[in-house]
Amino acid sequence: MTIPFTHVDWAAIVPVSVVAVTALIVLLADFFVSGERGRYVPITIALIGLGISAALAAKQFGHNHDAFFGGFMTGGFTTVFEEIVLLAAAGSVILYANIGSAQRVAGTTAIMLWSACGAMLMAGAANLMMIFLGLELLSLGLYALCAAADRRTARESALKYLILSSTATGFLLFGMALLFGATGSVRLADLVAPILAYNPIYWMGAGMFMIGLLFKLSMVPFHSWTPDVFEGAPLPVTAFMSVATKAATLAVFARFIYAALPLGVGDRLLIPVWIVAGISMIAGNVGMLAQTDLKRLLGYSGIAQVGYILVALAGSTPQGLRYALYYLTAYALMNLGAFAIASAISDAGEEGSQLRSYRGLAFRRPWLAAGMTVFLLALAGLPPTAGFLGKILILASSAANGYIWLGALLIIGTAISLYAYAKVVRLMYSREEAPVHEVRPFVPLAWASAALCAVAVVVMAFYPLTPSNVLPLVR
Amino acid sequence: MSLVLVTILLPIVAGTLLFALPRNSETAARSIGTLVGAATVATTVLAGDAQWSFRWLSRPFTAAFHFGATPISFWLALLLAICTACAIAATRVSRTRDMVALILLLEGAMMGLFLARDLLVFALCWDLMLIPVFFALIGWGEHPATAWRYLIYNFAGGLTLLLATAAFGVIYGSTDVIGRSAAPFAGGWAEWIYAGFAFAFLVKTPVWPLHTWMPPTYSGLPSPMVSVVSAVQSKAGLYGFIAIALALLPAYVHAFALPLIILGAISLVYGAVIALVQNDAKRVVAYSSLSHLGLIAIAVASGNQLALQGALVYIVAHGLFSAALFIVLGYVEEREDTRSLSRLGGLGWRNPRLAGALCVAALAALGLPGLAGFAGELIILIGVYQAGYVWAVIVALIAIVAASAYMLRLYQDIMNGRPADDVPVRPDLSWREGLAIAPLLVALVAVGIYPAPLLGTHPAAAVTTSSRTP
Repeated sequence: MTIPFTHVDWAAIVPVSVVAVTALIVLLADFFVSGERGRYVPITIALIGLGISAALAAKQFGHNHDAFFGGFMTGGFTTVFEEIVLLAAAGSVILYANIGSAQRVAGTTAIMLWSACGAMLMAGAANLMMIFLGLELLSLGLYALCAAADRRTARESALKYLILSSTATGFLLFGMALLFGATGSVRLADLVAPILAYNPIYWMGAGMFMIGLLFKLSMVPFHSWTPDVFEGAPLPVTAFMSVATKAATLAVFARFIYAALPLGVGDRLLIPVWIVAGISMIAGNVGMLAQTDLKRLLGYSGIAQVGYILVALAGSTPQGLRYALYYLTAYALMNLGAFAIASAISDAGEEGSQLRSYRGLAFRRPWLAAGMTVFLLALAGLPPTAGFLGKILILASSAANGYIWLGALLIIGTAISLYAYAKVVRLMYSREEAPVHEVRPFVPLAWASAALCAVAVVVMAFYPLTPSNVLPLVR
Repeated sequence: MSLVLVTILLPIVAGTLLFALPRNSETAARSIGTLVGAATVATTVLAGDAQWSFRWLSRPFTAAFHFGATPISFWLALLLAICTACAIAATRVSRTRDMVALILLLEGAMMGLFLARDLLVFALCWDLMLIPVFFALIGWGEHPATAWRYLIYNFAGGLTLLLATAAFGVIYGSTDVIGRSAAPFAGGWAEWIYAGFAFAFLVKTPVWPLHTWMPPTYSGLPSPMVSVVSAVQSKAGLYGFIAIALALLPAYVHAFALPLIILGAISLVYGAVIALVQNDAKRVVAYSSLSHLGLIAIAVASGNQLALQGALVYIVAHGLFSAALFIVLGYVEEREDTRSLSRLGGLGWRNPRLAGALCVAALAALGLPGLAGFAGELIILIGVYQAGYVWAVIVALIAIVAASAYMLRLYQDIMNGRPADDVPVRPDLSWREGLAIAPLLVALVAVGIYPAPLLGTHPAAAVTTSSRTP
């Protein structure tokens, strides 16, 4: 028996393989270390592995190659999404420096890296089977990670995620089956045949596929699982889910709508998606208003933020994709920074996600409060941050592509969201209570991560890096 | 590095670095802040109309960090610099260091706003200047709801400005348009773009019925901060009307002039009437601001050249006397621990210098000839009369009479009468306090006697090419 793949095919997934192997090394290294200090070993190994993988992925930028018979496409689009996933993984793994028990760090880090492999596969997946493979790899890891905390809510979170995510996967898989039925092929490249526009099976399949993706993106009305799962999961897992899952799903979504739709279908098929994005921007931001937990708050916030990114994609223009990537990167940095600060103020008993533990933070930990303020105001789209410029770019794209009504909904949603974000800021800067926690752990990794994210969020506002050559390809 | 850039960055950098001082350093923070404020005055003058530009975006439209004073914005920047320096010198609140830092950050953001030659940078600074005021409101404000009201109102305005800017940029291709005699903008979306701008500007000014954030904000903020906010931040909207709406969308300003004049007239009368019955001294000045800014809004909307020149004089005049009024009221509150007009009284006997300062500021506010307020009001009224809005002039005259009533009432209730028994007796203005307010009073007299430089700059120059368009 011969394996029909050449070394070129394997080279395409080297960044993914590096991450997978790093996870194995993390597990092996765990045999030789122990104790509280030991938790830095898996984190360091993971960061090195992710760094190597990021460098290798960056080298593939601009090299469009169709590996595994159309299963995995390298190129600018894949590279950018892979880098965002790697960034998310690095930003989340770092949080284990202060969260969870030391014995568990190696295991959870390894699983998170394998999840990241799945997300990276989704970034480059150009056929339905590879999409499903990546999605399952990502999700299976996350089910385990969600449960990996000594709280009842963690297990509840894992179960909820398992059931609802499986439902979504069911939709996705059924849609894929129908698409396969309509075309007789699993390759996205074969989905562009114009004749499909007249095939009801195609329409049903594409619709189911969309619903599955919207479920994963937690768009209204498929969003209700997100806050609960985010709240229950350990902090690093929440950080990872809030960025990597969304980035990977957006990659599949963007590739599908940019490169795998028959001519003329997009206008009709995608209108419901844009409406859903519009509703999500309002509902997500309204949902934030009453939250008392940072993780829930950011869960709702993520619903709205992904809505903003979809607005950039409306109209399927190359410019829109670049702005979506810009905003996605900014969103990743803001979220990872906010979670890093949450981990820096958490102690053994409690993850720093309860909003009441932020009361008066500015007087106890001024730098952390200042950093959190930057991230929250950036999420609200206030200058001088990448959130502001990202919103401008998205608004411009919506105006240019004739989706100004989505721009108007974005404006309304943003106005609502400011109240929720600024509420946390006010809490941090109001001195109404004596300091509750006098423990002041210094967590260098979390501080470094937060500082880097804050600098990047501000610098990105002045140097808008929107790479060209990022159009998704399917062949 | 260009002096323009120094003018904007100096307060921002200094404000940020102030946080490195020890938390309880009061005199050091105030001295450094005052020095920085004075330096900003100098750089504003020295920079003149120098320009500095740095490419920001090339797609979807071109935008640049392009700064430089126009004939109008030069005076606003100078006003801002002077008011800030005086306000910082007068600062004496709890956590002085933080307050001085916030005022400097606010100055930097507003300096960027007035010196911006790019619409997108203008919008950026528009949102940026909300943040220091929001922090001041949550740190020193009396009621948390005030902070929310300020933030939500103004952010909503900022967002419509943002949407309008994005749409404008996409259609026009560039946002680097402020202060250029560019062709007037027209197109399918122009009305909506004008609506977006106008909403933002009206909220910020504010004009009735969008003013409800203003009185609590002005009475809730500590005096030094509110003197900057009321003197200069409230002018951002009017500046936007003159430099952006009138220059780029003149046809729409003219088409919608009447509604704007009506709103201005309502603000004018409403503010004056409410100011007559307020008991809180700061609120009297807040509502008087609403009234005065209504007059400027009428002048801008009338589109008359003379009225526009008068508007610039009155913008500067109002900035000077409202800053002076709020600083003096801050001194009064420091001494007597109350702003209630019914409790205050008889301060003038023991504090003649304080009484003198309040007297000059109040007389300027009620439009006494020889002081800055009169020059502006007179030119505006002649201009609006020329433009044919006779009824608006009559309404304005009524409000100006009312202004004498509430300003004299303010003065009388605080300074004249029998000294109140239940408020403490404190010493008169110290040298520091006197020096802090002196530049404002001198400027009030100077502009009142010799407003020619302001008129000579011909604020209409930026809009002459277009404002004749029907």
